[in-house]
Amino acid sequence: MTTKKKNVSEKIAELKAGTDWFYSDDFVLDEASQKYRDLMNLAKEIERDLVEMKNEIKIIDEDFSK
Amino acid sequence: MEPTQVYSVSDFQAVLNQIMETAFSGVVVEGEVSSFKINQGKFVFFDLKDDQASVGCFMMKFALRFPLEDGMKVRVRAIPKLTNWGKFSLTVQAVVPVGEGSLKKSFELLKKKLTAEGLFAPEKKRPLPENIVKIGVISSTQAAGYADFCKILNERWGGLELQVAHCQVQGMVAADQIMKALSYFNERSEVQAIAILRGGGSADDLAVFNDEALVRAVAASKIPVITGIGHEIDESLCDLAADVVASTPSNAAQMLSRDRKEIVVAIRSDINRINNLLNAKIDELIVDTRDVLRVGRDIVVKITTIESEIAAQKHVLAQLNPDNVLERGYALIRGEAKVGNVVEITTYKQDIKAKVTEAKERK
Repeated sequence: MTTKKKNVSEKIAELKAGTDWFYSDDFVLDEASQKYRDLMNLAKEIERDLVEMKNEIKIIDEDFSK
Repeated sequence: MEPTQVYSVSDFQAVLNQIMETAFSGVVVEGEVSSFKINQGKFVFFDLKDDQASVGCFMMKFALRFPLEDGMKVRVRAIPKLTNWGKFSLTVQAVVPVGEGSLKKSFELLKKKLTAEGLFAPEKKRPLPENIVKIGVISSTQAAGYADFCKILNERWGGLELQVAHCQVQGMVAADQIMKALSYFNERSEVQAIAILRGGGSADDLAVFNDEALVRAVAASKIPVITGIGHEIDESLCDLAADVVASTPSNAAQMLSRDRKEIVVAIRSDINRINNLLNAKIDELIVDTRDVLRVGRDIVVKITTIESEIAAQKHVLAQLNPDNVLERGYALIRGEAKVGNVVEITTYKQDIKAKVTEAKERK
């Protein structure tokens, strides 16, 4: 099985799902502490990704004047 | 004088046309339109004139990309030609209105026509896809508007792939180049949105974005198109045909990207809210636990009270127990106390039968 590296949008979606759990009926206090720590780590990872990510600009070779 | 070369009339006309085509290939002439007419629905004729001269023009209707009327000031790109009948004319390749009045008139005529066709209908508009990763950009890479777009985009978000089609964004050749770029992106279907960008300029500079063929190409694009053309106050027919309109190239960058700073703030806010929620839940639990303890204490008090009451009741009952009375020396007599009768006498320690020898009323 291969594990695909998540992009920042997928991580943000994961963070949102994790956040929603705390407001859902599935919330269990016993699990909350670990989940909170996981979300904290994910949030730090996202912030790091947001700082590091750059756009790629490709100028197309085609000559549109012809 | 001996002539160096003798031409037939048709040869002379052909040579003359060749010379003119070489010398004035794509010459641009500006003047006022008069005697405008379309023959057989496909041949366009008009005169181009100024105060002192006039020249006949001919073009095919499909090449006419702006509505024309007599009195409009236009610029034509044309090849000069001497016809078989010796008449000089311009074979027009492209024509654009110039000057504020003509541009406005042309804009209104074309807007009315295309609106009637439903080209600008709101129900045709598509939203930009969410989480865009690949964007096709049509602009001049030397234009300030393009630089603004890239700057804002880079500040706001990363991880995007921009495929940039470098085109002229003003002048008579610009519309064709932009249309080719639109076709390029639509044929490949690699990008999720196409941004057509051009910074501010005069009405003449921006006239290309009212070119009928280009407006139709924008409306027909399979990929959603966002325009960021000119300044806030400028409106082009390409804007009306596009799916999404940004007021400027910078605004287009904002609409195509999320703001990483806002996301960081939102993430921190979410984490804080969860933290507060957890604290609240724990406080709630503490309150619940205290309530349980208080209820427990109340129950203990109630049990103690009941036990005391039972003890008191037991004491009263004990007082009423006949054995206790007998123990104090009293006796219980059963039977009729009549002389000669046998009665049963119960004391604390004994059951006795005794014969009554005397019975009299107490005084």
